[in-house]
Amino acid sequence: MTPRHLFRRGMAALLALGVTAPMLAGQGTDPLAKLDTASRRVVLALVDSANAEGLPTAPIVSKAQEGVSKHAAGPLIARVVRTVFLSLREARATLGEHANRDELTAGAAALQAGIPATALIDLRQAGHGKSITVPLVVLADLVSRGVPRDTASRAILQLWMGGAGEADLMGLSQSVGQDILSGAAPADALLSRARKVPIRLPPAKVPE
Amino acid sequence: MTEPGLDPQDPYVEWIAREARRPVELAPDLRARIMDAVRATPLPARPRRGLGWFTAPRPLALSPLTSSLLAAGLVGIGVFAGLTLTHRDGRSPAEQPVAVAAHPQLPGSDSVQVHEFVLQAPTASAVSLVGDFNDWSETATPMTRTADGKWVATVKLPVGRHVYAFVVDGATGAKWMPDPAALQAPDDGFGTPNSVVLVGHGNAT
Repeated sequence: MTPRHLFRRGMAALLALGVTAPMLAGQGTDPLAKLDTASRRVVLALVDSANAEGLPTAPIVSKAQEGVSKHAAGPLIARVVRTVFLSLREARATLGEHANRDELTAGAAALQAGIPATALIDLRQAGHGKSITVPLVVLADLVSRGVPRDTASRAILQLWMGGAGEADLMGLSQSVGQDILSGAAPADALLSRARKVPIRLPPAKVPE
Repeated sequence: MTEPGLDPQDPYVEWIAREARRPVELAPDLRARIMDAVRATPLPARPRRGLGWFTAPRPLALSPLTSSLLAAGLVGIGVFAGLTLTHRDGRSPAEQPVAVAAHPQLPGSDSVQVHEFVLQAPTASAVSLVGDFNDWSETATPMTRTADGKWVATVKLPVGRHVYAFVVDGATGAKWMPDPAALQAPDDGFGTPNSVVLVGHGNAT
């Protein structure tokens, strides 16, 4: 084989690789490859909108992947992903531009659980600049376990204002969950356990 | 014409001339024998050019079509590399969570921590961990069974909130279930509840 033939074959191989590589890459890394065309278009449009609005896109892509993995129908996946996007947008509007990614996703989940936006605002104001990711996650957890939204929102806000720590809140959630499994009414379990959480008020606020 | 000093009438010269004029008789298989000998002779080795062949400049002529295809190919390779190195969610592979065979108490880096997931499921035949940290893949993070019927997986996770679930293979087939020992996530929209882990926040469950 002459050098010219070798060169031509090398160039042909390079061209073939270059033309087919994007297609192969698309099949290998596209997390939405298993979605039908219409649903996929909706999800990609939502991802692009989230990008444009400065919202995190990972929760949107992840929710679509979750739906695919759970063998949900394409239209349902598109609908659920849209709900996630709208919740993220509302969480951003509620918590402000400085909310970090975890606060946004936790806030969006809390809003999806039916917790009113005013509860998120109250927690933000009571936190004095602290991250409210943990109170939001615990709040969503309690509501998911059956605690009425208003009861859960008031209890967590009071504990948060009283200086309860992240570990206190997560311990509270675990205890309430155990009590509910043991047969206690969700609201009673929360109120009973909340009384036992040590409140750490700053020295200036300790009652005389 | 004769050489000076040679006499054409010399008997020796005459003998030579006679011999030269005598027709040569060739053997009938001579041609075949010669060709056999030629075929049996090995080809001469091509001169070794070494590195010089690659480095020597030579003119290269490409048609416009070939040039365009070549450019498209190079762009394609670039796109391939980009897709391989970055996911659509903007996280590079370095930021992607990975399963590790490490002890849960091992310290992680500032932004990544090692977390151990445990599920008590003595009757399960297989359990896998799925979540937003492994693209919800049922095959990405299989859990390991311990002697006391627990299933364990140790995973490196970025600090933050993560949603996950277990896929338990039992007598009734594969079943998705939340972590009974963890915080619950609100309705996932698909009818199977998930759990939440907060990595790097207090005593993460």
